[in-house]
Amino acid sequence: MNNFERFAGLVVAAVFAATALGPARASSDPSPAPPAKAAAAAPGKPSTSTADHGKFKVLQQGFKSGPEVTKACLTCHTEAAHQVQGTQHWNWEFMNPKTNQRLGKKHVINNFCTAIPSNYEFCTACHVGYGWKDENFDFTAQENVDCLVCHDTTGTYRKLPGWAGHPVYQDTEFPPKSGKMVKAVNLADVAQKVGKTGRNNCGACHFYGGGGDAVKHGDIDSSLREPARYLDVHMAKDGLNFTCGDCHKTTGHAVSGSRYNPTAVDTAKHIRGKEDGNAAACQACHGHAPHKEKTRLNVHAEKIACQTCHVPEFARGGKPTKMLWDWSTAGKLKDGKPFKTKDSGGHDAYDSRKGDFKYETNVIPEYIWFNGQVDYTLRETKLDPTQVVHINKFNGSPDDGRSKIWPIKLFKGKQPYDVGSNQLIVFHTYGQDDSALWSNFNWDKAIEFGMKEIGAQYSGKYAFVETDMAWPITHMVAPKEDALACKQCHTAPGRLDKVPGIYMPGRSGNELLDMAGWSIAGLTLLGVLGHGAGRIVASRRSKGHQGGHP
Amino acid sequence: MLKALLGFVAGAVVVALVGWLMMPSLMFTERVSPFGMEETIARIQHNIEDNPALKAKGWALSGLRNPARAVQTDGGNVLPVMMIEVCSTKYSKPILKEDTVRFLSILMPCKVSVYKKQDGKVYIGTMNAGLMGKLFGSLVGDVMSQVAEDQKLFLVMDPSTPAPEMILPQAAPAAGGGGPGGGC
Repeated sequence: MNNFERFAGLVVAAVFAATALGPARASSDPSPAPPAKAAAAAPGKPSTSTADHGKFKVLQQGFKSGPEVTKACLTCHTEAAHQVQGTQHWNWEFMNPKTNQRLGKKHVINNFCTAIPSNYEFCTACHVGYGWKDENFDFTAQENVDCLVCHDTTGTYRKLPGWAGHPVYQDTEFPPKSGKMVKAVNLADVAQKVGKTGRNNCGACHFYGGGGDAVKHGDIDSSLREPARYLDVHMAKDGLNFTCGDCHKTTGHAVSGSRYNPTAVDTAKHIRGKEDGNAAACQACHGHAPHKEKTRLNVHAEKIACQTCHVPEFARGGKPTKMLWDWSTAGKLKDGKPFKTKDSGGHDAYDSRKGDFKYETNVIPEYIWFNGQVDYTLRETKLDPTQVVHINKFNGSPDDGRSKIWPIKLFKGKQPYDVGSNQLIVFHTYGQDDSALWSNFNWDKAIEFGMKEIGAQYSGKYAFVETDMAWPITHMVAPKEDALACKQCHTAPGRLDKVPGIYMPGRSGNELLDMAGWSIAGLTLLGVLGHGAGRIVASRRSKGHQGGHP
Repeated sequence: MLKALLGFVAGAVVVALVGWLMMPSLMFTERVSPFGMEETIARIQHNIEDNPALKAKGWALSGLRNPARAVQTDGGNVLPVMMIEVCSTKYSKPILKEDTVRFLSILMPCKVSVYKKQDGKVYIGTMNAGLMGKLFGSLVGDVMSQVAEDQKLFLVMDPSTPAPEMILPQAAPAAGGGGPGGGC
């Protein structure tokens, strides 16, 4: 199964935690439906709902579309759509208060699928709405809010790329000409079984970000559906069994958490649901001095994020994460037809539509100083094509008093830029028209179309520039006995070799100081040996002298 | 005379100490792979499966084991480790027929370990079959020296050739066993 199919087949929900709708009968349904295998919000957690949505008359009708269902939901949950419409999950927009950059999927160009303008119908399969197919989408229409994507408990609610956020209304062959059929969603059934948002709802989009399972984040993939303890101590089904919402506290449909403005150093005493809009930090439960026996480690924690030691590697659940995407090779054809090649593990290594990829499991993170401020290279930003362009630069330093050493996934790419303006390019990938790259494999047309879509000037000449993008690693927390041991950093080469500005016994050294130390030790040894030898010789002479003169 | 004897004993102790310290690196070899885990495994597997010279000597893959999985099942994490098992009856048969050295069956099948270390690199570990064989007399020495020569062909890493597909072990037959086995 390729990334596209995985993505398409499993795009079922977006990611905001639930507050309004009550759990339903399906929470006790023992036979979750394939293919998403989604069921109750968290395995093993009994329903505490006071409402059975199956008994509501307004939901007992033959719904023909998603918006019809939303209208029915709103008859009771009168404020729900308004609440959703104030969130990032709806607007795909975020104004960073630290940098004053306008971010969010609507504005950012990344180095995965790059940008949504001109590709709305495809990308908005993960939007919590219906019908966002172009820039004219009505963000104020309440019936456009998709309630089911986050509250489905049946696992049958499916949104496919290319449907502008609508679910499948009739049996559909997908991907086209694949021979695989996607069943139409029974909207009434799903509506009558709505419940509290669970990890399967969040995961349906976030596990598959970037176009496939595990592709984007590295520390979030479908292995977290029902992870074993080794993979995540917090989400382990036989352990704490956390849902996403346990840390990403949600109020009025606004889910806490942002990678645009993350919390790098948490100093508050009680942090869950704090006002900065971010998810609970480790300290929310574990405090600032969590190491009761090895208290020396608490000193480490002043400068080192918990994740640095407690997420020793990412992509540990057996799902390889994408580490490189080279768009510059896209467009090659064999006998006039697009083709794919696979790597040794059976993952796409080349796709005519997308270029070259590299995947990896059990990835050892990069480590950086990070103070929570992220600067994005936006479309307007002038870039230096002779250097690697940082799509997002994580700021931090050993001296600013605001930084900690954090683990990140550094995703590398190569993507087009305008040679005339030295700016990143928006290009048209998906569509039934003659300009879509994935249909005609013509970069010139795809770029021209994409740039026209956003109303940007284009010089007519493009080239490819190397880029990287950082992703903070914070999920997949290992059991404490599997945290990094001292010797994994306090050695040369060690984990933190590339981190500047720190002195680490066992790793760092001063050549002159070392030489002086060894010289002193050597001279001391020589002195001891010389002194001992002198004593032996003197003793023998003394004995000889005594023997000669009885 | 006493001095000579003491000198001899001291020399023997030093040699034994050096031998003891060097033993691990002599008995086993480790090298860095230029490829990732899966590609390294796949290339070794195909070096064995696709090389007519090795085929003629009876070499065949007999398994691919994942010792890290057991650790995960037990709730712990280790970096990836995969064991490629390979065997040739041409070499195993004479050893298994000889009672005095049948205990060497514990070294069968021949194994190549592929693993990742803390530096993020992928390594290949093998037994030094040539040296080990010499410890067990001429029969085993002869067999193992040939194994050592063949082993070099297992580990050829040619970046100019495309990455082959990893060969996953077939399901074990209902009655048990460990896959095709290559005769071992």
